[in-house]
Amino acid sequence: MSLDRFLTQVVPVRQKLYRFAFRLLGNEEDAQDITQDALMKVWGMQEKMAELQNMEAWCMRITRNLALDKLKSRKYRMSDELDRAGEMPAVHQKSPHAVTEQNDVMEKVHVAINALPEKYRTILQLRDIDGHSYQEIADILDIDMNDVKVNLHRARKTVREKLQNLQVYGL
Amino acid sequence: MPVKRFGRNYKICRYMDYKKISVLLEKYWEGESTLEEEAALRDFFSTSHPDLPEELLEAAPLFQYFQVEAEKVWEAPPVKVVKLSPWRHWMKYAAVMLVAVGIGYALKQHQQRQQQVLVAMQQEDMNDPQKAFDQTKKALQLLAKNLHKGTAGMQKLSYFNEATAVVEGKED
Repeated sequence: MSLDRFLTQVVPVRQKLYRFAFRLLGNEEDAQDITQDALMKVWGMQEKMAELQNMEAWCMRITRNLALDKLKSRKYRMSDELDRAGEMPAVHQKSPHAVTEQNDVMEKVHVAINALPEKYRTILQLRDIDGHSYQEIADILDIDMNDVKVNLHRARKTVREKLQNLQVYGL
Repeated sequence: MPVKRFGRNYKICRYMDYKKISVLLEKYWEGESTLEEEAALRDFFSTSHPDLPEELLEAAPLFQYFQVEAEKVWEAPPVKVVKLSPWRHWMKYAAVMLVAVGIGYALKQHQQRQQQVLVAMQQEDMNDPQKAFDQTKKALQLLAKNLHKGTAGMQKLSYFNEATAVVEGKED
């Protein structure tokens, strides 16, 4: 793979890799490190690139593996959820009270999703936030497409139950 | 009725019948919805609707959350492409060269010095008459000793000659 190919095909994906790493690791610094490591690894395995059908999925898989390794090796702790509550942007211009309430609701959803097992959470995020197809998710996670469907169904069900228990309702 | 354009070129009525949304939502919970249907749901919930039935109300925060997360702008670290020159490690190579040259020079110096010492020692021996005499004496003694070994043999040989002469004389 030439440098040109790397610059045109791999480097533009880094935004997605970074977002993906951030969701897994929960902090900016490590997400940056992992993104960088993933790009280095992709560059190092350039001879494999020719056989690949979905390069983006391959890059994401590498990123995920590196991030999971990091989580495992350091017995990582997610940064305090409450710290991030303030980062939630307001969707609509509402009264300050409504905005606070909205953020509170968003935070509860965030916590409910983050409490899911990693596999469920990742599948739910890739599908419902990033809009990936089942096949793409299967490629990224290196699992069967039916597994993706089953796990997604379970993930949604779990989140639904959690939100029902918390009595989180829309505004 | 106002019409809204979706990201995936998907047009639906903004005020879609709640009934239809309920059906989509049911498909969503069952994991049978398509990406387009999910986008429609997200779009529906991104605006607030009065008098939502409960089954729709419970899903609203989730889809609002998806919308917020999807719209988040992520600033990935910039990628710098560094051109690596073959001389990027010139200091390393220079250091190796320097060490090699240093060792070579030291070895040469050492050899020269040893030779100089040897020559100087020999010269010193020659300059001192006593030492020179001792050396010569030693050498001559060695020679004499070896010569002596030879004379002892010759002595025996001369006895033998004399003896033969006597015997031969008697016979004559």
